Parts: sequence; C-alpha cells; structure tokens
Amino acid sequence: MYFIYDPQFGNTMITLMAALVLVLQIATVGQRGLITTIRMFALQSFFLASIACTIAFFNQAGHLYIAALLTLVLKAMVLPYLLERTVDRVGIRKEIEPLINVPLSLLISGCLTLVGYVVAESFYHPEETSARSALGHNTLAVAISLFLIGFFIMLNRRKALTQVLGLLSMENGLFLAAISLTYGMPLVVELGVFFDVIVAVMVLGILAYRIGETFDSMDVGKLRSLRG
Amino acid sequence: MNQIPISGLFLGGLTSYAAAGLFGLSAHRYRRATRIVFCAFTCLGALLEGIASLAALLNASATLISIPSGIPFLQYTFRLDPVSSYFNLAFAVVSLAVSVYSLGYLDGFDVRKPLGIFCFFYSLLLVSLTAVFTANNAFLFLIAWEVMAVSAYFLVCFDHERDENKSAGNLFFVMSHVGTGALMAGFLLLGTWAGSLDFSAFHLAGAALTPIRQGSLFLLFFFGFGVKAGMIPVHIWLPAAHPAAPGNVSALMSAILIKTGIYGIIRISFDFLGLPPLWCGLLVLAAGTASAILGVLYALIEPDLKRMLAYSTIENAGIILMALGGSMVFRSYGRPALAAVALVACLFHIFNHAVFKSLLFLSAGAVVHATGSRNLERMGGLIRPMPLTALCFLVGAIAISGLPPLNGFVSEWLTYQALLGGFGSTLSLTRIVFPVAGSLLALTGALAAACFVRAFGIGFLALPRSPQAGHAHEAHPAMLAGMGMLALLCIGLGLGATVCLPILDPLTNQLLGVGMSGNLVVHGGLALSPGSPTGGTVAPAGIAGALILLALVPWALCAIWWRRGRKIPGPAWDCGLPGLTEYNEFTATAFSKPLRMIFAALYQPRREIQTEFEVSAYYPTSVRFESEVAPAFETHFYSPLVERIMARASRFRTIQAGGIHAYLAYIFITLVVLLVFGVRS
Repeated sequence: MYFIYDPQFGNTMITLMAALVLVLQIATVGQRGLITTIRMFALQSFFLASIACTIAFFNQAGHLYIAALLTLVLKAMVLPYLLERTVDRVGIRKEIEPLINVPLSLLISGCLTLVGYVVAESFYHPEETSARSALGHNTLAVAISLFLIGFFIMLNRRKALTQVLGLLSMENGLFLAAISLTYGMPLVVELGVFFDVIVAVMVLGILAYRIGETFDSMDVGKLRSLRG
Repeated sequence: MNQIPISGLFLGGLTSYAAAGLFGLSAHRYRRATRIVFCAFTCLGALLEGIASLAALLNASATLISIPSGIPFLQYTFRLDPVSSYFNLAFAVVSLAVSVYSLGYLDGFDVRKPLGIFCFFYSLLLVSLTAVFTANNAFLFLIAWEVMAVSAYFLVCFDHERDENKSAGNLFFVMSHVGTGALMAGFLLLGTWAGSLDFSAFHLAGAALTPIRQGSLFLLFFFGFGVKAGMIPVHIWLPAAHPAAPGNVSALMSAILIKTGIYGIIRISFDFLGLPPLWCGLLVLAAGTASAILGVLYALIEPDLKRMLAYSTIENAGIILMALGGSMVFRSYGRPALAAVALVACLFHIFNHAVFKSLLFLSAGAVVHATGSRNLERMGGLIRPMPLTALCFLVGAIAISGLPPLNGFVSEWLTYQALLGGFGSTLSLTRIVFPVAGSLLALTGALAAACFVRAFGIGFLALPRSPQAGHAHEAHPAMLAGMGMLALLCIGLGLGATVCLPILDPLTNQLLGVGMSGNLVVHGGLALSPGSPTGGTVAPAGIAGALILLALVPWALCAIWWRRGRKIPGPAWDCGLPGLTEYNEFTATAFSKPLRMIFAALYQPRREIQTEFEVSAYYPTSVRFESEVAPAFETHFYSPLVERIMARASRFRTIQAGGIHAYLAYIFITLVVLLVFGVRS
C-alpha cells in the first residue's frame, strides 16, 4: 500500500482524472439532453474535487481540502439539484438545437484543446521543474481547454440553462487552473468565488425560468426583442 | 498621550459604525428599538473615532493600523497621520451631532419608508467616509471612495417616488464616476512611477518626476477630486443631490462628503507631488475664486432652502480652495510662513464649514419636516412656532456669513490676510492675482451675508406664508440637541480660535515643515495676527465682549430712562393700516431682485407676465407671473456635451446586436486572440 505515497502515482492519477474532466467537457458539447448535460457537469465537478484532494494530499495544502469539499457539495450536488429543479419547473426537456452542428462543434472543441495546450506550453519551464511542481503541469493545459470549451458551449447553445452550464464549466476550468498553478487561491478568494457561483446560478435559474415563462421557450435569442 | 490605544479606539469606532448598520436592518420589525440602538451605535462610533483622531493629532506622529486581507496587493492599512486625523476628527464631530439629531429625525419618517435600508446605507456611508480619510493604500482608498459614492447614491434616491430625486441621484452617480475614472488613472500612473500603491510610498514620489508628468498627474487628481469637492464647473450634481437626500444625510454630504475632495487635493499637492509647478497653485486659486463667487450668486436667487444651502456649499468649497491655492502659490515662491498662514486658513475653514453647514442643513431639515416644503416662499413666521430651531439657524447663518465673533469670521479673516500678504511678497504678474481674488472674496462674503439675511428673514420672520408654515411645530428634542451641539461649537470655535489654532501645528509641520501658531496667536493668546507686520490683528473674544457691551448699554439706558414711561404694544410695520396679511409681505424673489438685475448677464433671467382682463388692462381679472433663471452651466456646457457624446455613441449602435450570442462571440474571439498572441511572447 506504500505506492499511494509515491508522487509519480499521484501524477498519473491527476492526469487521468484531468483527462476524464476534459472528455466529459467535450462530450457536453455533443450532448443534447438537458438532464444528461447537468449530470455530466456533476460528474465533472466530482472529478475536479478528486483532483483537488489529490493535490492537497501530495502537497500538504490543508486549505485545498476545504475547497475540494466545497466543490463536491456545491457543484456536484447542490447546483445540479437546483438546475434539475429549474428544468422540471420550466418543463422543457427536449433536444437542444445548437447554432453549429455537432460534428463541427466537436472539431472546434478539438482545436480549442490544441490552443489550450499551446498556451499552457509557455508556462512550462522544464529547468525549474521538480517532481512535485510537475504534478499539476499537464492540468493547466486541460484547465485552459476546459475554459475555452466552456465558453464555446455558451456561444453555441440557445437555451439559457445550457449557457449556465457552460459558465459553470468555465468556472471549473478556472478552479483547475488555480489549483494546478498555485495549489489554490487564498481561501478568501475561493470562498468568494463559490459564493458568486451560487448567486449566479440562482439568478440565472430564475432568469431562465422567466424567459421560459415569457417566451414559452428558453431560447436567449428571443431576448433580442428587448433591444431599445 | 502614548497610553491611549489609538488603533483600538479607531477600529472600535469603525466596528461600531458597521454594527449600527447591521442592527438597523432589523428595522422592519422593531422600528422604535432599532432607531435607538442605531443612533446609540453611531454616536458611540463617532465618539471613539473622535477620541482616536484627537489623540493621534495631539501625538503629532503617524499611527499605522493594518489588517491583513489575504488578497494579494490589498492590505487594509489605515494611517492616522495629522492630516488624516484632522479630517477624521471633523467628520467625527459632525457625525456625532448628526447621529444625535437622527434619533429625533428618523422618528418623523413615514412608516412605509424602509428605515432598515436607510440605516444600512447611512452606516455604510459613515464607514466608507472614515476609510477614505484614513486609507493608506490606493486600492483601499478607491474601494472606500466607490462605496462612499454608492451609499450616498442610495441615500440621495431614498425618496425615490419623486422623479427629480431619481434623476438627481443619477446625475450624482455619473459625475462621481467620471471623477473616479480620473482618480483611478492618476493612482495607477502614480503607482507605476512610485513602484508601490501605498500612500507612505507615494510621499514626495512626484518630486522626482518631470514637470509634464507632475502636471498631468495633478490635473487628473484635481479633476477627480474637484468633482467631489463641488468645484465649478463640475459642481452640477451638488445642487441637485444635496437637497434630494433626507435632512441628516444632506448635512453629512455637504459638511463632510465634499471635504473628501479637498482632502484629496491637499494630499496630492502637499504630500505626493512634492512641489507642484506654480501654475497648479494658480489654477486652484482661480477655480476656488470662480466657485466662491458663482456659488454665492446662485445661492442668492434660489427659492429652495436646501438648494440654496447646497449652492452656499459650493461657495465655501471655493473659499477653501482659494486659501489652498494661495498656500500652494506661496510654497512655489518659497514663502513657507505665508503658505502656512494660508493653509491654516484653509484647514480651519474646512472644520468651520463642516460645523456650520451641517448645523444649517440640520435646521433646514427640521424646517422642511415641520412645513412639508423646501420653498422659502411657503415658509415665514417660523420663529414663533419653532424658536429654538430658528435660533440654531440664526447662529449658523451668522457663522457662514463670516460675521464676528463666530468661527466663520476667523477663517475667512485669515484667508483675507493670507491673500493680502501675497500681494506684497510675490513677483510681477502673479501679484495681481491676489488683490483680484481678495476683492472677489470680499464680494462673496457680502453676498453670502445678503443671502442668509434673505433666508432667515423670509423663512423665519414676518407672517406665515402658507397654512403649513402657520401650523409648524418645534423640532424633536433630540434634533434640537444635535443642532445645539453644533451651534455651541460655532460659538466656541469662534471665541476660542486662539486656543484651537495650535492644534493645526502638526499639520503645517507635516505638510510645510513650519509651525505657525506661535506667529498667529499673539498678545498672550488673546488675539490673532497673520504674522506679518503689515497684517492686522484681531481678537474674536474681544469683539464678542464689545458686542455684548454695545447691547448692554442701550438696554441699560432704556431701563433707566423709560422705567416710568407708558408702553403701547401694537403691530409692527403696518404703517398705521392694520390688517396686513401674508400677501403684503416681501417675497424671497423680490428680495433678490436688485441683484438679479445687476448680474443679469450671468443669470439671463426670463420672465413672462400674462394678464387677463375683461374691460381694460387696468382692471385685470387674473395675472400670471412666471420667472426663471437660466442654469448657465447646464445649458451652455453640459447639454451640448451630452448631445455630442450621444451622437458619437449612436454610431457604435450597430455592434450592439442585442443577441447574447453576438456578445459572447466578441468576448470569445478577443480571449482566444489574446491567449494565443499575448501569452506566447
């Protein structure tokens, strides 16, 4: 059982989980059902919490455990619950028709992943790398890709609710970048961000519900008629 | 004095202010209890802050108070150096009196109004004002500055049922943001050049810069702070916002909030920039002179009592800036002693104006509460139903008109002396500036006196001009207590000026390296002198004594000679024709008519008379009279500006597609381009 204290093992585990997070993100781009998308987000957040836990374990960063726990409770449980309740209330579960068709979207996501890796490369200085700081280096590329793809989801989807999910996965990307670069931001900032996310989801949930009620659809394109 | 735990008291005061707001939020349930707890906490906070500031001021050294925030680049660092302590002390004094007043004032609030919200923003304003005066970090300063603007905005819009209040709030918000933009640019530039964002690091940081950088920094800060200080021509928010706020808030805003701008200008020009170029001082002097004279001219014709006070605030900010600009010019000419006299005049007027302007606004608040109107033409005769309020207003009016022996006289006299001293001691062209500024200051003083004779005479004397004024009632005892404190302070600061001025020594020492009280206070602490042989000497207490004697002598003569005379009481001023009504009274508009004619070029008055008659024009059935004064700055400067901006802005309308996806795409493309090109290099 001593192998779990080996940083090499930790590195492999983190890379594996980061890859899963990325795969889930790309799968979200192609996914059409609302409920499934929400559950995939929950799963992604679970893996994210696991990554945070692993980094905390190997670097003795105590406060990261708190952040991991918060991620697990809020993003893997509370937020998906709130979102699913909104879906129930609005009563729209039907397929989402994206602006760009699915194959092309997947291709773009692949390109964005590439951009993520290219950008992260410039942060990588092999001469400074010790075994410990190498722990999170691969994850930065994943984090940037996650952020970009999250943004792309927001851009590509019509439903207010999927846009909320895009925003949340962008936030996941930020969180991953923070823990991979500096083992997490100061706890105050972290708490502030979590608080922001909850408020944002509540507000956006209400907004999505109102859009649904007013326009009989959650298509944010209908908001165009509000322009003065 | 080292035994006093200044930092503990200071933080205690802040906590107490904040606690007041949190307790205040429970007001929807326990209205009465909340009011009492809220006012008790704000009073406690003001007391603690006052003691801490006074102790720090007497200590004459800077006290640093630091709270780690856990966020990079931001530390909650407060510094109580003499300048900060002095401003904080003035604020604490005013806030104590206003808090006592609020105990009664909030009682008269409409029950449907959300008292809790009011309490919350009010205490937020107190906290942020304290932080603005004491912040030692540009970040913290800007945060406090913005919180102050936002809380003041909500307080201005508190009576949001009236559209004019909402637009006043918006105007305030826009102007405040324009100013803050300039401040941010200024602080970022200064921070880059100084290598740190701490005020301690900014000290004299500007001295090493080139004159062009110094000048541009000064202009940015002068504009940004000038907006808050109510300087003409960026004053337009002030006469709109101050009257719109509830009475106690407008007192705080006029007395203290505008002083944050003055505080900033002092900080910049004396502390950060080292020695700014000569034209900076002349600019401040010119802006101050323009504000003083135009402010009082607009105050003079204003029928709205609170707007009139707001214009008078512009005038007093102008006087403060005049003294400040004078001090800067003297400093550029290497005359530290004269600069110190001007600075003392400026600082003392800051404190005095804080005291008497809050007193006037509080009494105006009581009057407006009692009569339900802000219009002077609908008041009148208020001295009978509310004698104590009238007395407080009278004290404030005498003080603000600069009449001896009250406090306004002392600081305005010092300003004159400094300006006159400037004539003899500066070179060629600049020396003309001083007599011009001095004579305009003299004109301002005279017009201010006329303005307050009008306010007191029309508002409080003669017969009631409306049924509401006739049925007015005296203010709540707590309100009277708050006003009374300030009125006593007006008298005390005037009579005891020679005792108070040495307190300013640490400030002149910090900013100019000269202690002045030894030169200013002469004849064993009885009289004031500007410290130069050509200047005059004045003893406020002596003048007070002479005034009392002058009052006593006729009274005594009357008592002796007319003891056995016959007295017939009768109505005054009726010229033997009894039965005068309020329609026979002189109105506020009529009072200012001569001045409106003299300064017609500025006011551009418009009037319209419509007469309806049946038989002949000599027997009109009804006459309609309408008179209006053009708001010069709004029509000639701001309206064209706004129109031009709107015209430019409409060209960018096409990129505002209205669809969320378009906006997201803009952001997304920018982000990817920045990532790819920005990070790689």
